[in-house]
Amino acid sequence: MLEIIEIILTTPFLQRALIGAVLVALVASSSGTFLVFRGLSFMTAGVAHAALGGAALGLFLQESGLIPWFDPILGALLFAVFVALVTGYAGESGIAQKMEVAVGVSFALSMSIAVFLMYYIPPTQVPQIWGYLIGDILLLDNFDVVMLALTALTLVIITAVFNKEFVYVSVDMEGSLAHGMNARAYHYLMLITSALAIALATKAVGAILVYAILVAPAAASNEVLSSVRGVVLGVFVVALLSELAGIASSFAFRASPSAIAGILAAMSYVVAMQIKRHRERIRVSRQTEMKHSRIDRPFPEDKVVATAGSPGDDE
Amino acid sequence: MTESDILFKSENLWVKYPNGEVALHDVDFEIEGPSFIAVIGPNGSGKSTLVKTALGLLKPYRGHISLFGFDSMKETGEIRRRVRYVPQRDRIDLNIPMKVIDIVLMGRLLKKSPPRIASSKDKRLSMEALEKVNMDELWKRPFPELSGGQRQRVLVARALASEGQLLLLDEPLAGTDVESQNMIVEALRRYHEENDVSVIMVTHDLNPVHTLVQDVLLLQNTVIGVGTPCSIMDPELLQKVYGPDARVVEYAGHRYCVTRDSGIDRHA
Repeated sequence: MLEIIEIILTTPFLQRALIGAVLVALVASSSGTFLVFRGLSFMTAGVAHAALGGAALGLFLQESGLIPWFDPILGALLFAVFVALVTGYAGESGIAQKMEVAVGVSFALSMSIAVFLMYYIPPTQVPQIWGYLIGDILLLDNFDVVMLALTALTLVIITAVFNKEFVYVSVDMEGSLAHGMNARAYHYLMLITSALAIALATKAVGAILVYAILVAPAAASNEVLSSVRGVVLGVFVVALLSELAGIASSFAFRASPSAIAGILAAMSYVVAMQIKRHRERIRVSRQTEMKHSRIDRPFPEDKVVATAGSPGDDE
Repeated sequence: MTESDILFKSENLWVKYPNGEVALHDVDFEIEGPSFIAVIGPNGSGKSTLVKTALGLLKPYRGHISLFGFDSMKETGEIRRRVRYVPQRDRIDLNIPMKVIDIVLMGRLLKKSPPRIASSKDKRLSMEALEKVNMDELWKRPFPELSGGQRQRVLVARALASEGQLLLLDEPLAGTDVESQNMIVEALRRYHEENDVSVIMVTHDLNPVHTLVQDVLLLQNTVIGVGTPCSIMDPELLQKVYGPDARVVEYAGHRYCVTRDSGIDRHA
């Protein structure tokens, strides 16, 4: 144990990786949870790839000298917000399926823009665009950590203040509006903050880790835990454990920590599904037992079941 | 701020579905409050559309609709402050692990401003509302695991726990078991009698609420009739809307209508 602590204390990149793991777990529990509640698990992948289109646009504007100060990350954030706005617009009535379609379309559009612009960017610069997707938690620099920390902090604060609103919008958009809550504003707030967090986290730790950690633990926790608070906490724990296991195993043998974390997070979902199915089976068998015992009882005699009605009417 | 005696009023209202189809046209009526209003009509007749427009959730294509004299578009906030709404049951997302009590608390917390912390009063009123529909013992259960009828009772409890002079319910009896239906009707009857609260209920079946309804609005994309339940239960009027299968049955001094229509509107 002491040995491990000593290694951590003397290895800055490991310290950064561990801090990064905690921060990504925070992003997962404060953004991933609510996206899964909203039926928007696909949005993570959509936003990360849309950001790619934005990065390409940024690089193109820089290289062509049109807007020299336009950093690719600005483009990435811009496109992430674009996906959030399109998705939000499609989902204003509160129907989740429509939003998934909108994510799909805006994501395809952004990727197409990325590929289109790659023809106009010097070939030597193109890898920089793809590099946006393949960050690595072991390769974080201090700037990445600070950026990730600011992202996570902002997200945690917003979610802590508005979690009830985010839940209400997801549960019952119409009812929330009708009772006088400004549901549309919270709807967009949730989508835009999530999109920005996804884009920034992807930049820092890479797409694979973000997809896996933002979606799978939330989906798993939502299957088995029965309160919103429980799910938020469960996501943090599952996400962090998967990431730590990933980092640890990358020291034991040749493996990408993100890949191991992703596999473990996905496994947690499979396990959760099994637990849920098992529980359902117990519940159903208990219910059928109850129903049968009810049928065995004699019918109460004082109840008039039917009176004569006009023939041909079935009500 | 003036609150007129007119509870629910519509002037030359037209509403279109997003696909351009006309949902409601030339809707004109005026109903005085306080009242217990039933909005009836066959599937697709624009009942839900009418109440959603009144709440400002849908935009009129032409004309105006108002509650308490407040225009649905210009004074939406004033309307929503006074309304407690029970949407159609299938509009509630079951993907979120909300407990029964959390759903009922929503009715109170939605009327507050952030951070919407539940006070002990909120909790007490929510539990009392659950008692009214006999769901208090299941307050800890996850809402998605309840049966359809139980979920509907919880949603009615959410409205009862909330605040505002108008309860607006969209098909609260559709697809519910008899036990839940009786409990909801009884809870609404008692609540309406004991409190100074008006009720507007969208329903495809007037019979379960026949004896407590004061005004009926019969729709088929426009107003076919407004009046007391028994005056609306006119064979000719109903056959115009429900077709030749509709019958009117008299029982214990009340007229009941028998149609082949059932279920929830799936429009918009």
